[in-house]
Amino acid sequence: MELFDNLLMGLSTALQLNNLIFCLIGVVIGTAIGVLPGIGPIPTVALLLPFTFGLSPASAMIMLAGIFYGAQYGGSTTAILVNVPGETSSVVTCIDGHEMAKQGRAGTALAIAAIASFFAGTMATIVIAVLSVPLSVLALKFTAVEYFSLLVLGLIAAVVLAHGSVAKSLAMVLLGLLLGLVGIDVSSGVARMTFGIAALSDGLDFVPIAMGLFGLGEIIANLERPAERRVVSQSIRSLIPSWGDLRAAFPAVVRGTALGSVLGVLPGGGAALPPFSSYALEKKLARDPSRFGKGAIEGVAGPEAANNAGAQTSFIPLLTLGIPANALMALMIGALMMQGIQPGPQIMTEQPKLVWGVIASMWVGNLMLLIINLPLIGLWVSMLKIPYRLLFPAIVLFCCIGTYGIANSLFNVWLMMGCALIGYFFIKIGVEPAPLLLGLVLGPQLEENFRRAMLIADGDFTVFLSRPISAVILAVVAALLLAMLSPAILRTRKEALAE
Amino acid sequence: MTRSRIDVQDLLFGLFFVAVATGTLVATRNLTVGHAADMGPGYMPRVVALALMAFGLFFSGRGLWRAGRGIAPIQLRPLLAILASVGVFALTAERLGLAIASVAAVILASFATREGRLVETVAFAIVLSGAAVLLFVKLLGLPIPIWPR
Repeated sequence: MELFDNLLMGLSTALQLNNLIFCLIGVVIGTAIGVLPGIGPIPTVALLLPFTFGLSPASAMIMLAGIFYGAQYGGSTTAILVNVPGETSSVVTCIDGHEMAKQGRAGTALAIAAIASFFAGTMATIVIAVLSVPLSVLALKFTAVEYFSLLVLGLIAAVVLAHGSVAKSLAMVLLGLLLGLVGIDVSSGVARMTFGIAALSDGLDFVPIAMGLFGLGEIIANLERPAERRVVSQSIRSLIPSWGDLRAAFPAVVRGTALGSVLGVLPGGGAALPPFSSYALEKKLARDPSRFGKGAIEGVAGPEAANNAGAQTSFIPLLTLGIPANALMALMIGALMMQGIQPGPQIMTEQPKLVWGVIASMWVGNLMLLIINLPLIGLWVSMLKIPYRLLFPAIVLFCCIGTYGIANSLFNVWLMMGCALIGYFFIKIGVEPAPLLLGLVLGPQLEENFRRAMLIADGDFTVFLSRPISAVILAVVAALLLAMLSPAILRTRKEALAE
Repeated sequence: MTRSRIDVQDLLFGLFFVAVATGTLVATRNLTVGHAADMGPGYMPRVVALALMAFGLFFSGRGLWRAGRGIAPIQLRPLLAILASVGVFALTAERLGLAIASVAAVILASFATREGRLVETVAFAIVLSGAAVLLFVKLLGLPIPIWPR
């Protein structure tokens, strides 16, 4: 079986001592960040990118992936104990999880969240492994024409499925594309929009942009609305759930895992969509829906499983086609590019050790989360007591040093400052900055493939429609855009994304 | 969130895009455009800028046309403190060294909220500065001076 060979190869990479250590560092840092409200996984990954430059590509990806799913997990701890979602994906866990904590069942809620996450992580790893091979075979048929269409599909789907106004998100993607064009034009060697600044000739670094837009902009906005936190700390008595709890939770975990695995693959769904959908599903299926909101264990188990499964399967487009499903995956692509690996449809055939190593490490990392987190729950709770007035200056400082460290350039620090202002502006006018980051990272590839395709076809735009694979992909794009115009679907989307 | 006779959010979004598109068109006016089969360096920037212009005009127009949400009042204190903190770091990091730049950045950032207590902030800034030097310069070998040169 090719599948098992691949997984074994991945495990041999993931189980190397140094990779185990980086995986552990990743999940621990990720959990810590996830527990702390006020800074999301995107600025965290951006902030920690410079640390990974010295590592091998596999170690770097393993650690960054660990930060991501670790943060998902940590967010649920905060949601249950403090009723503040550490991450957007934990918003639903707040509802019943915190209610359980108030009833003195915090330990059970935390344990169910951990077990659900682990189960979902294990199943998602298998899903990734099964889906990856056929996708990468298909990807080998791709030329510049098909890849261009695929990039368009990735961008459009991410926009359609994400929060907020579709038209505004499309505009933000375009803005990102424009920023991606800054720098020396590869084919003619002419400087574009560099305004005579030497630091711009290689293009804009996306790390200062991500940190400014997502990290600092968010901090400024957070400081405007003082939030109070109260930790439910009196009652983490028993971490071992009863048989009854497990029996009640298990079907929800299975359904959540399936739902999360499917939704995670869709671009733009990423981490936010699966838990909401799972919660809605559990409530619909429950014999007595009125228990929800009052500490129903299915309301914790389902969304937590969906959340984790979705976080992992959102790696599928990245690992098989080289296309990011959301802003965080865009950062991962950036990390690969900084390692000198060009993401694209060939990534699986050219970097099998890397891809399978990362896939296998996800299962290893989930196991680590299960083992280290429940005993360490006291540590995470005490982290929650760090006041925000000390936390945010530290984050600002580390953002400054981290941005500087990418290219030892003060220009990047200034760039980050400008992006912080723009990020704050975006929050004020209610616009999501995530599509911008996707456009920025994919922009150069989009342009390169577009120009190559046009060169092959001698300027004939119909080439995108005359090639079958490309035509199918573009038909999906058209269908997605048309669907957005239909009021019925618009309403469903609003409901699905409503918090 | 206040109601308003025009949609301020849309209008500001639109104006921002019009400004960016105009800036791009001006900045790329001397680049060769070429044609589809043989694109010059100016082709893509021009196409994207025109699309942005269209979006910008659409949202500006819609913002003026319909009633919508105003924006929450801007609080200058956190905004200025965080921006100043980053700016001071950029100005001082290479000249005065990481140790001093870090202390300055942390203290400035802490002005973003009224909750800060001066003694606590200064002590915390010094501890963080030490940690940053240890981590970034000693451990990770970031080539940045620690003290003024």
